[in-house]
Amino acid sequence: MGSKRRPDSGGKVEIPMAPMIDIVFQLLIFFMLQLKIMAPEGNFDINMPLGQSSQQSSDAPLVPDIKVKLISDANGNLAQLKFGERNLGVGDGAFEALGAEVLKIIGTPGNPATKDIEVEIDADYELHYEYVIKAVSHCTGKIDPQTKQLVRYVEKIKFAPPRLPKNS
Amino acid sequence: MAKRRSNHTSVIEPDMTPMIDIVFQLLTFFMVVINFENTKADERVKLPKDLLAKPPEVKPAEELVLNVGFDRDFAGRKLSDEPIVFYAGDKFTINNFGPLLEQEKRLAEAKGGKGTIDETTVILRADSEVPTGKVQELIRKCQEIGYTKFSLKAISEEN
Repeated sequence: MGSKRRPDSGGKVEIPMAPMIDIVFQLLIFFMLQLKIMAPEGNFDINMPLGQSSQQSSDAPLVPDIKVKLISDANGNLAQLKFGERNLGVGDGAFEALGAEVLKIIGTPGNPATKDIEVEIDADYELHYEYVIKAVSHCTGKIDPQTKQLVRYVEKIKFAPPRLPKNS
Repeated sequence: MAKRRSNHTSVIEPDMTPMIDIVFQLLTFFMVVINFENTKADERVKLPKDLLAKPPEVKPAEELVLNVGFDRDFAGRKLSDEPIVFYAGDKFTINNFGPLLEQEKRLAEAKGGKGTIDETTVILRADSEVPTGKVQELIRKCQEIGYTKFSLKAISEEN
């Protein structure tokens, strides 16, 4: 039997490749359609238990909490950025100034004495969310231009209770 | 020339090996690059960009991803000014989202036991144009249910 089946002519046995190529192409198309080119996303962690957003603790902290106020115009754009009672203006310069003010208060980045400092972001109802993220970012720290590493300022961020919209 | 053709009757077979190699390499590339975990992110939400937004080194054990954005057309124009929470294939206004959060809490507790939501991080993927007050209202609703950990997402911007 065995000797009969073997080809005497020495011609090579060809494996049919077409089904395998079909499957491979189908897999390729599946993965190509599933692929989504997405920019990497980062996050800012905030800890907000209910009822602690506007309460002051009875023990006076060594360094006062930082209050950042963001005032919007009717279209939701930033009209004024305030650090405590000081007006820092508008635009990127204002956010840079905010970072500088936070650094002035904490002294040196990563200072353990300032671990309990909290930044309260008080934004107008209509203000576009992107400005809040900018403010949170500039209070959190900055990227060192030399080392390209994150220099952390304040870790604790909270929001002031929401206010009603101006036009309500 | 004509003589040569008549003498050779065998079929000329193209060499398929390089093509198969390339196809396998492409297949491997797409298999490696693909990320099925990003399916919770909604493409309708245009996240704000920030330099400091770096992907987290440690993924939270439990997370609840909330996408807040606007109904937009193909050109990216807003169809309505009312922010919408895109969740599980449905659309909810922030005012109507409370019952679903309650349901999520019950499901999480049935799965992981009581106190699971203390360990759950609510990941807020909010559109850059959403009014801050609306985001705060959503945070407030989550707080009332019992969530305390929040994470605000932004697109990592290269300097």
